[in-house]
Amino acid sequence: MSNRILEVSDLDLSFTTYGQRTKVLHNLNFHLDAGERVSLIGQSGSGKTVTMRTIIGTLPMPPGKVENGSIRYEGRELLTLSRKQRNRLKGTGISIVLQDPLLSFNPVLTIHRQMDDIVRYADMRNNKSRSRSARRSHIIDTLKKVQLSDGEHILGSYPMQLSGGMRQRVLIGMSLLNNPRLLIADEPGTALDVTTQQEILNLLNTLVSEEGLTLLLITHNLGVVREMADRVYVMQKGRIVEQGTRDEIFASPKHPYTLELMNSVLPLYGDKVVDVADTHHEENAIEIRGVNKIFSRKIGIIRRKTEVNHAVKEVSLDISRGDIFGIAGESGSGKTTLAKILLGLHKPNSGDVTIDNQNLDGFQGSTEFRKTVQIVYQNPGSSLNPRRTVADQLKVPLKFTGFSPENYHARIEELLDMVELPRSYASMYPHELSGGQKQRVAIARALSCHPKILVLDEPTSALDVLIQNSVINLLHRLRDEFDLTYVFISHDLSLMRNFCNRVAIMFRGEICEQGRTRDIFANPQHPYTRALLSSIPVITAEEERLKPVVSKAERDAVLTTTTELTD
Amino acid sequence: MVAYLFRRTVALLLVLLGLVILIFIIARIVPGDPARIALGPLATADQVAEMRGEMGLDDPFLVQLWNYLTGLLQGDLGKSLLSSRPVMDDLVAALPATFELVLATIFLQISLSIPLGVLAAVYRDSWIDNITRIISLIGVVTPGFVLAIILQLLASYYLTFFPVTGRLDPGLEFSATKTGLLTIDSLLAGRWDVFGSACLHLFLPSIALAAAGIGQVMRITRSAMIEVGSRDFIEASRSYGIPEQVVTIRYMLRVASIAPLTILGLEFASLIGNAFIVEFVFSWPGIASYGVRTILQKDLNAVIGVVLVSGIFFVVANLVIDVLLGFIDPRNRLREGSSK
Repeated sequence: MSNRILEVSDLDLSFTTYGQRTKVLHNLNFHLDAGERVSLIGQSGSGKTVTMRTIIGTLPMPPGKVENGSIRYEGRELLTLSRKQRNRLKGTGISIVLQDPLLSFNPVLTIHRQMDDIVRYADMRNNKSRSRSARRSHIIDTLKKVQLSDGEHILGSYPMQLSGGMRQRVLIGMSLLNNPRLLIADEPGTALDVTTQQEILNLLNTLVSEEGLTLLLITHNLGVVREMADRVYVMQKGRIVEQGTRDEIFASPKHPYTLELMNSVLPLYGDKVVDVADTHHEENAIEIRGVNKIFSRKIGIIRRKTEVNHAVKEVSLDISRGDIFGIAGESGSGKTTLAKILLGLHKPNSGDVTIDNQNLDGFQGSTEFRKTVQIVYQNPGSSLNPRRTVADQLKVPLKFTGFSPENYHARIEELLDMVELPRSYASMYPHELSGGQKQRVAIARALSCHPKILVLDEPTSALDVLIQNSVINLLHRLRDEFDLTYVFISHDLSLMRNFCNRVAIMFRGEICEQGRTRDIFANPQHPYTRALLSSIPVITAEEERLKPVVSKAERDAVLTTTTELTD
Repeated sequence: MVAYLFRRTVALLLVLLGLVILIFIIARIVPGDPARIALGPLATADQVAEMRGEMGLDDPFLVQLWNYLTGLLQGDLGKSLLSSRPVMDDLVAALPATFELVLATIFLQISLSIPLGVLAAVYRDSWIDNITRIISLIGVVTPGFVLAIILQLLASYYLTFFPVTGRLDPGLEFSATKTGLLTIDSLLAGRWDVFGSACLHLFLPSIALAAAGIGQVMRITRSAMIEVGSRDFIEASRSYGIPEQVVTIRYMLRVASIAPLTILGLEFASLIGNAFIVEFVFSWPGIASYGVRTILQKDLNAVIGVVLVSGIFFVVANLVIDVLLGFIDPRNRLREGSSK
């Protein structure tokens, strides 16, 4: 019997840093048979990536050290192989697709240079030799496998010239160049928009069935696992805590950690969905009328030509006081530009914005305006100043909105209470706080001068799922307590379903659909909304059934696929 | 790429024009009458007035500037009061020696600092790293003229095969006529003895001049290499089985060289200034002695000429670096001229 591709048994691994030995993998046992799709799931820090690097052989040792156990590839023990023999397997036996399709390319070399190197050095290791043009045609054939037909054009490009989806395809093509048997994919597509991710997952599935690949999928996204894996291993803190077929794991998870993971996934449809009630305020907090924003940039030798990007087109919205208004869209849809217009950071080319019954023109930049609208950014790690204490950061907006200095202290304590942080945190620096705590500080800072409206720009996307939910609960509570209005910018529709009472979907600068969250999700009208909803990976069969069904033709009508060069 | 080059060149010319105008203004503002200085204390007031007319000093300022600029375009920098020869001729005589010294310095800086920085990064925290760290610290903290004197002392007592003054052994008969650079002209003429002697003479002054830059750029190369080494695409290249040496040179160094090259470009700015001092210590027959004398004597035309030469050198060196960076990093040129 030789259809066992990879077998990891009793693997223990430790790291030594500054003389301290820490065990990171504990008695790891798992295997993959030929043609199987197996998934390793767990949150960040669970040891998934270390496992992957140990298998492929790029983990630096020291500081890493295999204490015990074995890794067998097609029956051969990998850990005792010589360096040379081990290197021979890289890319040819076992290959990988790394997570981020932009960061996985060398930014200063053309795609051709990078792909050609992979083929050339693999040939050298295996004592083959091919001419440059033979290698080139091999590369172009491989690109066809990932459904990229315009290979010639792609090879001459630099990574930055390709779209995200196309880069991910090229990256998969790269890993396939030397016909590996085992492909390890680290979070494939999760750095991309959901519709593009869907395409990439389909592609990987096709490759497994057509090219006879075996796939080890490393991810934290249970929705992806449900669509992609035959068998599942759940990993927590370097241990495999549960294993089984996909159906077993999803139908009856047993280990508490698996259950916790399952429950933390926000439902898109079904009974568990939280409907957020309207607040029945009649007056509008924000009125947007026919707003356009055009970015232009001078290009060419003497900068006479102009490149125009119509980022926001004829957008009109009414946001009532007390609303949690979601603006959804993929990257480049104009949602961030719209948010910046609301904050007075961009001036619209035409149209009117009224905030709290005052026209934004003239209102923006005043102290009164700052007391009305505030923002919470996506990544608290970079939106907080690392060299200032929490108290110092909270003081900044107080200073600029005319608070008297003797009240600072009391107000800071009050703010920390509001976001459920201990008062002693006032003297801490951001690096002493966890991601969720940092975001709470950022929220406190936004609330410090009693704003009426908060713009939330993906406030939870930098956080782990479990922490995400607690921040969302906090935001809900604060809205009720202080009668706030939220404008919530996100690409995460599952989150939006459970957090917003109204949503607008943006598509290429336009609002293609808006209304009450429940109605939009139950009965999406615009083809783009339908395509978007259908692309979201979900974790139960019930949700799968309730998602809109979109035919390929319908999908292609609104979405440009990532297989074509767009410019 | 063409558009990028074009734009950089236009910018360069504008910078030079600004530089000329600025020095010209300064030269006219500083107190002291050039005509009086030229004629000496014994000249009569009439003679001075006549001289002023001859030198065009009585014309309105803008006219003087215009005359100077049009002269400059024809290669006329005016007359040196000190040597009574055209400034251009003086510069052409003194420049090649300095130019050769500066080129040798740049060559040393590039060929030592980047490889040593790479070695220090690859063998991080090993003895190689420690030795390069000490070298770079010494280089950075020692002023060029101190190092020049120390090297000269060492060469006088211990390393006696290194000559301590001049460009060439006194016994050798050779005149560099083609490029003015002894090393290159001697090679072109096939005179190996001259070439060897010229290289030995160049060695100590250029080390003294290069040390600070080497130390700084080496450290920057090292940290850039370490930073790039931790990026995802390096992990990816290794996983696809690309040999370690290729990963280091082609994949890491190419990205990591951007920061050190930029710093090198700035380093060039101080080279000519430092060369003044080093040339003095080593009695190098370059532009330094000329420059110092003209400054002390308020020989304004010559001062403008010397400053212009250093300006041109700095701006051109940075253009070369910019073009090199555009070549190494496609993001520079693609972002600028994406006219697809």
